[in-house]
Amino acid sequence: MASLLRTISTGLRSALVNGAARTQIVRLSSTEAAKTEETKPTVRKHDVAVREQLSDFGRYVAECLPKYVQKVQLTAGDELEVLICPDGVVPVLQFLKDHHNSQFANLVDIAGMDVPSRQYRFEIIYNILSLRYNSRIRVKTYTDELTPVDSAFEVFKAANWYEREIWDMYGVFFANHPDLRRILTDYGFEGHPQRRDFPLSGYVELRYDDEKKRVVCEPLELAQEFRKFDLSAPWEQFPNFRNANPATEEVPTKKDEKK
Amino acid sequence: MAGREAVRKTVQQVRPILSIDRDEARKRVLNLYKAWYRQIPYIVMDYDIPMSVEQCREKLREEFMKHSNVSDIRVIDMLVIKGQMELKESVEIWKQKGHIMRYWKETVEPKPTDFLSKFLNNQN
Repeated sequence: MASLLRTISTGLRSALVNGAARTQIVRLSSTEAAKTEETKPTVRKHDVAVREQLSDFGRYVAECLPKYVQKVQLTAGDELEVLICPDGVVPVLQFLKDHHNSQFANLVDIAGMDVPSRQYRFEIIYNILSLRYNSRIRVKTYTDELTPVDSAFEVFKAANWYEREIWDMYGVFFANHPDLRRILTDYGFEGHPQRRDFPLSGYVELRYDDEKKRVVCEPLELAQEFRKFDLSAPWEQFPNFRNANPATEEVPTKKDEKK
Repeated sequence: MAGREAVRKTVQQVRPILSIDRDEARKRVLNLYKAWYRQIPYIVMDYDIPMSVEQCREKLREEFMKHSNVSDIRVIDMLVIKGQMELKESVEIWKQKGHIMRYWKETVEPKPTDFLSKFLNNQN
């Protein structure tokens, strides 16, 4: 299409070297020229080769660990995500770390996510990195407030503090963790601040009391009553992306084919 | 079939945190209580708080009785775990005096309940 346009516009330009109607046609050609191929696209293009490779690897993982892997998906940014059941944290991470063709030996981060509307409201997300193959993968699992998740400490020593952070922020209990205690909040702090139902202002406020000569903790009372702010805009923000690709694309595994 | 569905929904298999049954959970709670009880004299001494050991024990009992209506084993376990962590923070002197004194809430004025004091406090 672009090459066709180019021939038309060059043809027009050569035909109109002399002519009174030049300005008009130039204006026309300039509107046409806007359709030339973008050299710096703002939207990241999919790397098909990488996607192919990652989905192959995801399929392989799903085949090797059919008991634990529930879903394999690729994100829009060409990242592989393996969704596993909570029992499989240790075996899956051990497999990814020790398998000769993956060698994901570095735990980059463990993240938490809270979606209160779900049955299992918390998501635990392990980002791991393979230096050997220069590749990253994300392992996701789920839990709720009271279901313990196995600690990844025996696989990755780096999990120690990350899991403490998740325990502190979300209140997810990690079984077999060597030293599970608070890491970010103050001693005596109650609640888990990253939960969606934890208010932004918190429940208590601290101040220095001159009579007691120490910092005291009092329940927070806001002068204004609770107000519900409706922050969603009445119009659509990105109408051009209404039909954009979904954020994730599922990789079909053998398990699905059998069904 | 519908009955079976209902049963399946009510009896949900869950992974225990620590305790398998109520007796075990109860034992853990009592153990935690005893551990706190025995550490209180040392806590009073180390932090130099203006409270007597008896007052602290009263407060300990109050804190435990606050959750006396909890019946879910997993919730009990979770509370025991948190209590254990708090005990460790207290015993290892990671906390400070102010953190210990927070249990008494000395500066918090009780909210008015009767009409006149509510009116004087300008709330209704």
